[in-house]
Amino acid sequence: MRPAKSSSETWAVGRELPSLSKALTQEKIDAYARASGDFNPIHVDPAFAAGTFFGGTIAHGMLLLAYISEMLTAAFGRAWLSGGRLKVRFKGVARPGDTLTVRGRIERAPDEGRRLVAAVECVNQEGQVLVAGDAEVHFDA
Amino acid sequence: MNFELLEKGHRFPPVSFVLDEAGVSQYLEAVEDAALPALCRDEGQAWAPPMAVAALALRGLMEAMGLPPGAVHASQEFEFRRPVAVGERLASRAWLAHRSQRSGWLALAVEMEATAEAGEAVLAGRASVLIPQ
Repeated sequence: MRPAKSSSETWAVGRELPSLSKALTQEKIDAYARASGDFNPIHVDPAFAAGTFFGGTIAHGMLLLAYISEMLTAAFGRAWLSGGRLKVRFKGVARPGDTLTVRGRIERAPDEGRRLVAAVECVNQEGQVLVAGDAEVHFDA
Repeated sequence: MNFELLEKGHRFPPVSFVLDEAGVSQYLEAVEDAALPALCRDEGQAWAPPMAVAALALRGLMEAMGLPPGAVHASQEFEFRRPVAVGERLASRAWLAHRSQRSGWLALAVEMEATAEAGEAVLAGRASVLIPQ
């Protein structure tokens, strides 16, 4: 997979990345557990999860990162797939029934725009930030 | 594994894994990413979605650590060094970078690196997990 040839000129500092929304269900969490092999009962066992601090099942953090990655793929294409960097904190949990929105904004364009750093986050339907951090992509000179 | 006794620098058992076509398909279906399938094919070569590689590397790490039920993910860093071809065998290594206790939780920070068979690093990362005490 080659790095993207498209320059970062189309991504000015301050520009918003196209956001995306996902309706989270237990079925989607279960599907992610099968795909990732992560069957932690906090994600897939409602009876177990009901007795925990969270009071019910929660989505895998990595599923939320997959949604953030989808936004970055849509925005930057192969530049993201070929060598990106992602650094996030999980600030809240996503539960079945939540509507999640992933969004981002270009914060910096170092190295004469050959790199882009975007603030990214995932919020629920109440605006609560569940994931926040930054992503970096590199473009060819 | 008694996590409270682990010393900083402790190395977890290495894990080897392969992300094959079936695994990629299952991943794409689970995350509903419509843009990935076309982008992950380049001149006849099939590439694994980087976050799928990360998920498998993390899964191997979690299995090697033997995390108890109820452990949760607190933060995550990934650096994708180069694309990974579908079917490529990778080895994942991880070590304890930090351990602390707070408010009834044990906090662990684990650094990891996935390498190709030739030893080239393809993915580096750092995961922080909270374990209920």
